Amino acid sequence: MNLALVGVIGILLLLIVLFFLGMPVGISMGVVGFVGFSYVISIKAAVGMLSNDIWGTFSSYGLTVIPLFIFMGYLSFNSGIAAKLYETAYIWFGHWRGGLAIATIGADELFAAICGSNTATAATMGAVALPQMKKYNYDTRLSSGTVVTGGTLGTVMPPSVTLIIIALQTEQSIVKLFLGGILPAILLGSLFVVTISILCRWDEKLGPAGPKTTFKEKILSLTGIFEAVAIFLLVIGGLYTGIFTPTEAGGAGVFLILAVTVPFGKLKWKDLMNAMSETLKISCMVFVLVAGAVIFGRFMAVTRLPYALAEFATSLPVSPYVILALILMIYLIGGCIVDSLGFLVLTIPIFFPVGMALGFDAVWFSIIIVMVTTMGAITPPVGVNIYVVKALAPEIPLATIFYSVSYFLAACVLCLVILIIFPEIILLIPNLVG
Amino acid sequence: MAFLDRVSRLLNHILLVIAGLFLTAMIVITCANIFLRIVGAPVAGTFELMGFFGALATALAMGYTQMQRGHIAVDIFILKFSARTRRILAGINYIISMFFFIIAGWQITRWAMVLKETGELTETLRIIFYPFVIAVAFGCFVISLAFLVDLLKTISHTEELPI
Repeated sequence: MNLALVGVIGILLLLIVLFFLGMPVGISMGVVGFVGFSYVISIKAAVGMLSNDIWGTFSSYGLTVIPLFIFMGYLSFNSGIAAKLYETAYIWFGHWRGGLAIATIGADELFAAICGSNTATAATMGAVALPQMKKYNYDTRLSSGTVVTGGTLGTVMPPSVTLIIIALQTEQSIVKLFLGGILPAILLGSLFVVTISILCRWDEKLGPAGPKTTFKEKILSLTGIFEAVAIFLLVIGGLYTGIFTPTEAGGAGVFLILAVTVPFGKLKWKDLMNAMSETLKISCMVFVLVAGAVIFGRFMAVTRLPYALAEFATSLPVSPYVILALILMIYLIGGCIVDSLGFLVLTIPIFFPVGMALGFDAVWFSIIIVMVTTMGAITPPVGVNIYVVKALAPEIPLATIFYSVSYFLAACVLCLVILIIFPEIILLIPNLVG
Repeated sequence: MAFLDRVSRLLNHILLVIAGLFLTAMIVITCANIFLRIVGAPVAGTFELMGFFGALATALAMGYTQMQRGHIAVDIFILKFSARTRRILAGINYIISMFFFIIAGWQITRWAMVLKETGELTETLRIIFYPFVIAVAFGCFVISLAFLVDLLKTISHTEELPI
């Protein structure tokens, strides 16, 4: 049988296992990759590959960065840093129409800069911001969508666990991907702020203006962002200057959070233990996902399907941007059905070579697909961030949250279009660093 | 079945504590290396130790993660099926997953035995590392046990459908 056809059958089998057995994504990829490799090469080679790849993935120094960054995110989640960020943002923007929603986006942006997860960002800021917005009579059509979409900044703004995994999977520099994510995250956050301003100008009741604050209060409130800024500067600054490896940056970030919280009683023992068990659980999930992707990638490589697909894509008499649009459509639909991280890990071995063959920049292509897939995190039916907010505020109907999110999806699409037309926005900082 | 469930839970909680200790060790080694490097005496073999400790921290948490349903799965189509069909599909899923990790654990153990027999040492620290490999294999067997417990629960209808 033609090897590329075996690859296609493998992908179909994977989809059946994923969607009709409900098998975890990482294990599905491992099982299908193992069976496919056995068919193409031999069972003996496949069992050898299985043990090598599982041990190789779990003991990889490169992957040790993941538990450390996840732990950093969970520690900041449990230590009250988010509440202080929100208070500062509220003092600065609360007196505007929709100011609390803008403050939520501002605090999201800063929190995302020390936390690598979109769900953790949505959960943290939701717990802090939703009660405040309710207190000041914000309409849930605005407040729920703000929290859901603000969480997406956690995937793009460095340090992002998703970007780390993509960097490792595609053998790119983590630092370059991190730097490539900064301006898109700021652009996306700014477009969210513009969306909120327009909505509140259109209907004042959505986000009534809060009490005014003095200039002195504003300046004094800046103490609330010191910890987050210090952590961000330590991690990103250390990485950028080459003082730290990514793993060391994660370790130093964890150490700094513990140093500014534990001695002052801001982190209880129970919260620390909770952060640790969640970190181990999420890290293990990610490692199984990566190990599965490595095994599935070996199967794809022996079938040469990704290369055949890349050759086919480049031979088509259409603009690379038409093919890019098709790929992005797949990512958008996939992101709606499968968890964004799972879908990215699953598809990168297939589509990344295509993107490279079409001549797109690796950093640019990675950030674009992350942004598209992340839109899936706020789109039904899976839309994990939506359910995070629903869990925090059960009184808000799901339909209201979906309605609220739809306002912000337009900003996401606009951001994507801008980044495609002006790739320099993504590439400016990585190129400056060289 | 109840006995197996208790054993699996106890084992996974003990392994989670051990995994937590290795995560803590990773942070300590990383920070110690940063500080000691500044004074010109970096910790030797950090690269190797971090890899091994990372392997243990995550592999030993595999069973606990399955117990907590921590692995990403896609359930939107399965939810459309009847309870009976979902139970059958979940059973097939658990059987395949269990055998996958049994094969993985078995093969990793075989490789660890080869490392032991040949006296393989790490490049920098010159220490044996097959015990770390065995620990990862053990993590594979423990997640297999978690899948077996899930399978038995699904067959005996003693638990709500996980998906």
